[in-house]
Amino acid sequence: MSKPLILIVDDEPQIQRFLGHALAASGYDTCFAATGQGALEAVAAKKPDAMILDLGLPDLNGKAVIETLRAKSSLPIIVLSAHDQEMEKIMALDLGANDFVAKPFGIGELLARLRACLRKAPQPEDILRQGPLVIDLPGHSVTRDGAPVHLTPTEFDLLVMLARNPGRVLSHRQILLQIWGPAHGEDVPYLRVFIGQLRQKIESNPSTPDLIRTEPGIGYRWMAD
Amino acid sequence: MLTPAPWMPRQEGWAALPRLPQVLGAVLFLAVAALGTHLTQDSFPEPSGLFLFFVAVLLAAVRFGFWIGIASAIAAFALFNFLFVAPLYTLAIAKPGDLLVLAEFLCVAGLTGFLAGRLREEANAAKSRAAVLEVLSAFATDLAEADEPLAVEQALVLHATSLANGPALVLHDSNPDGSDLQPPDLQAVERAFRRHTPQDAAEPGQQGGRFTFLPLMQQGQVVLVLGYHRLDAQRPDRFARAAAIEVICHQANLALERLRFAQAAEDARTAATREQLRAALLTSLSHDLRTPLATILGAITSLRELGATLPPAARDDLALAIEEEAQRLASYVDNLLHMTRLQAGLAPQLVWVDPVDVVAAAVARARRAFPLVEITADLPELPMIRAESALLEQSLFNLIDNAVKFSPPPARIQITARAQPATLTLSVTDQGPGIAPAALAQIFTPFFRANPNLPGTGLGLTICHGITSALGGSLTAESPVADGHGTAMHIALPLPKAAA
Repeated sequence: MSKPLILIVDDEPQIQRFLGHALAASGYDTCFAATGQGALEAVAAKKPDAMILDLGLPDLNGKAVIETLRAKSSLPIIVLSAHDQEMEKIMALDLGANDFVAKPFGIGELLARLRACLRKAPQPEDILRQGPLVIDLPGHSVTRDGAPVHLTPTEFDLLVMLARNPGRVLSHRQILLQIWGPAHGEDVPYLRVFIGQLRQKIESNPSTPDLIRTEPGIGYRWMAD
Repeated sequence: MLTPAPWMPRQEGWAALPRLPQVLGAVLFLAVAALGTHLTQDSFPEPSGLFLFFVAVLLAAVRFGFWIGIASAIAAFALFNFLFVAPLYTLAIAKPGDLLVLAEFLCVAGLTGFLAGRLREEANAAKSRAAVLEVLSAFATDLAEADEPLAVEQALVLHATSLANGPALVLHDSNPDGSDLQPPDLQAVERAFRRHTPQDAAEPGQQGGRFTFLPLMQQGQVVLVLGYHRLDAQRPDRFARAAAIEVICHQANLALERLRFAQAAEDARTAATREQLRAALLTSLSHDLRTPLATILGAITSLRELGATLPPAARDDLALAIEEEAQRLASYVDNLLHMTRLQAGLAPQLVWVDPVDVVAAAVARARRAFPLVEITADLPELPMIRAESALLEQSLFNLIDNAVKFSPPPARIQITARAQPATLTLSVTDQGPGIAPAALAQIFTPFFRANPNLPGTGLGLTICHGITSALGGSLTAESPVADGHGTAMHIALPLPKAAA
């Protein structure tokens, strides 16, 4: 089986340089583009398995690249962005980017995100397990260390949505739209209350959660193993 | 709050009461008439004497006004009757016709005095109106030319002085220091500031201040108070003048307001420019500090976490990338610090410096940064200069860095020096494509980048320019140098007299 091909889109040669070495050593093939237009052409020509995309490109805004791609492809996209570009990150995620890494980053973090994105979408399972937690989908029941956990239907849906996307960030908007519907896309404080209740019930230490991680300003991430 | 009153005198009309010199003047006229009649009564018939008295009454009425005219008419009739009409030396009226003469005297005197008084009064009013109008027009001209509040205030004081015929002054707070105002006037100033109302001077001879104070108000605040010495109570046009002073206060207030708005607009423009610069600096900071940091952190974590799986060549390349980016960071931080220092207005610490040493240091640093670029610096022996060597070196390095950036490889950079009697010129010349004329004018503007696709901050040349200015010199760009290509940047520094 051939190695996955990763398209790296960044206008900084130095970033391309170290990413090239690191990804090659981690078992990936790499190809590069320095512009948004080049990225679209490379996607069409080389059919990469995933794309690492810097949001600040000289020609086309990174968001425009995502928008154009998402019209016809479900190619996993990891966005590179600066820490203070919160709005950019949110918009990129809402446009369909799969995940983000804030610059500067350690290579381990990027590789973990890449693995999570490349993981084949698991077959719909009836039972999801995460540490001491067991989620029985047909039975609508959850146990922690064998003891039943009582969840409301909404809490259960929220838990299932998070657990089905291990390692990946889900934006507030994505969660709100799926669980509560189109009328509630902006009800972030509402979501926070439900996440708090859920943490009380499933986390071993709700004040330092290690199952549902908060991505400040962005959304939540289910921590897989 | 300042409304111009009608400029017509309210008193001092045609019926003004006479003053002592006028009474004496009328008496003199009548005495002359009596004397003339007496001297000529033997050679001329009686009516000629009557005519002389008519002339005297006429003159008194024309010269001294209505009441004196009437008084002169009665006195003339009495005198003529007493001295020249039989029975002599009595006031008895022998003939009824003499009563008619008295009535004629009174009519002529009254009518003449009234008409003459009106005429004089109108002439005076016209003269005073003309004078006031002249001041107002001169003041309007001064205001139109005033481009700062001080000029408005000076014009206000000047013209208020000429309108008041006495000292005028402008006050900015209720406790003026150094003015020679008397305590009653100081109290009036304080009241004007506190109550926002005009404070009139006391009438002459009464207790109170000698100055009238008019507050100029803007947005409920007293911006300044104009004080002028009380007007001469004898002047018939003093009310017109007081009203005119109120008018120029009003105009001055409008002019000050206009200047304030202009200043506010100017401030807003400056703030917007500064905001733009700050935003550009932030963008530059976030990009130019983060990119090297991202490379360094990414390469180091790659080395640590993937070390075993990386081929040796990749490991070396990652280490080299770390070194390059660390140098880029250091250079950027240097530039930022220099720029911050220059913007803070810190003066460079000038010491005796050998320019050859500084050039050598800059070249050594540039050769480390650009190993593939050919940099030549054959300098003759040069006089010492007064400079801060770190600043000058940074400036030269930025020029070399810039030259390398805009030269296609293999880049060749030449540094030359020329000492003139008063100036030392250090030049950095490249053989690149040169700078477009349109860009040449802007290259020292902060964050201007001739080619936005090349890496850079748009700060390098700005900082060079700032440094050379701080060192008392200048930075100029020359492009093309020869055959339509090449750029030369010249740093000209003053040579101290002792070393020249």
